[in-house]
Amino acid sequence: MLNWLTLQHLRGRFLELQSFDESYVERLSAGDFRTQEHFVAYFSELIQLKLRSRLHSPQAIEDVRQETFTRVFAALRSGKIRQPDRLGAFVNSMCNNVLLEQYRASSRDSSLEDEEQTDFPALTVDVLGAIAAKQMAEKIREILEEMPERDRRLLREVFLEERDKDEVCRDFGVDRDYLRVLLHRAKQSFKSLYLKNMAARPPGVVAAAKL
Amino acid sequence: MDHDEAVRQKATEKYLLGELDPELKDQFEEHLFDCQDCALDVRAAAMFVEQTKVVLSEPIVALPERATAPAPSAGWLAWLRPAFAVAVLALLLAVVGYQNFVTYPHLMRAANQPQVGPWASVNVSTRGTTTTVIKARRGEGFGLLVNLPPEEGFASYAADLYNPAQKLEWSGPISTATSDEGRQIYIPGRNRQPGTYALVVRGITTAGESKEISRHSIDLQIQN
Repeated sequence: MLNWLTLQHLRGRFLELQSFDESYVERLSAGDFRTQEHFVAYFSELIQLKLRSRLHSPQAIEDVRQETFTRVFAALRSGKIRQPDRLGAFVNSMCNNVLLEQYRASSRDSSLEDEEQTDFPALTVDVLGAIAAKQMAEKIREILEEMPERDRRLLREVFLEERDKDEVCRDFGVDRDYLRVLLHRAKQSFKSLYLKNMAARPPGVVAAAKL
Repeated sequence: MDHDEAVRQKATEKYLLGELDPELKDQFEEHLFDCQDCALDVRAAAMFVEQTKVVLSEPIVALPERATAPAPSAGWLAWLRPAFAVAVLALLLAVVGYQNFVTYPHLMRAANQPQVGPWASVNVSTRGTTTTVIKARRGEGFGLLVNLPPEEGFASYAADLYNPAQKLEWSGPISTATSDEGRQIYIPGRNRQPGTYALVVRGITTAGESKEISRHSIDLQIQN
């Protein structure tokens, strides 16, 4: 089975901003290792975020992720990517196709979806590594400490307790827009440290993917 | 969905809160995979949410009540914590004590005592290429006694000192009550490198124009 840079291998990978252009696609097609590493790391995170709301099984998410990359690289090798600047949309589209097949497969075999949900390590934490994650946690603690207690409880109910958001907002006497703005402001406070950590980490060495 | 629309609609927050209907969600994801700005925004927000869960799952006592807890929060106020503050204050006390009882008295003695050291005479009227040799110990300064030319019609004088790398090291006025007075320029010896220095004396006219009137080479030889 293809083993495209499993989530464990993605620890500490550098997600620098690179242009997805013709040159990038050429390097990717030519098998340039650093470009492949960046490509997989960059889109793995987005794929996982996309799939989390659709699949409950970590194994199913991993299966879809790997199959997506398998097909994208097959398309690259056969020169099917005609719009390099739309590489991201291509990956998204491929992921949608694989996901659809996954739904069909799981409706025939319900064992996958019925799997007990296990704790799935956040890819964002894995990607950044333990030290950066600790810094991030400290910053988030700081942001939360600066919030009124009510806002902290609101976030706890929504994200930790996973209660129905409408119910939570009703209980706290706020509307959904208040919750959105709260998240937006907190994210903005956190984002500068996040960007700094992303920029400071050099690319790591990863085991070559088995083809 | 384009980028401006995604920002305007706070699509990142809605996406992570599960508030986008299926069609908008698909549209946002299609945009997200192509837009690095939005991708970064979503990743940062997702990281925030994940870590918030970790922090909020800690015992409540770990997060002080904002309205009632006077304890300083983490950040720059952390240095006020007693253990750290004591160590810092002790270090500062040691530094201040050393400076007041050792360094400063030594500097005062050095500054107030007569200094004996090498010197050379620089006669501005002299033209020529002779080099003045000065022998000084390492770290020892030396003096240059500048004899200004009588009545050359300049309102004032200035001197420039060039180091062996021919870089201007110092420039300053030479003030005189009368033009036949000599003036000493003391060149400090700290970190002084041996080599050929150049002292350029300039005359300044009443109009403020500067004219080089002499240039002297000083060969500084450091003796151990």
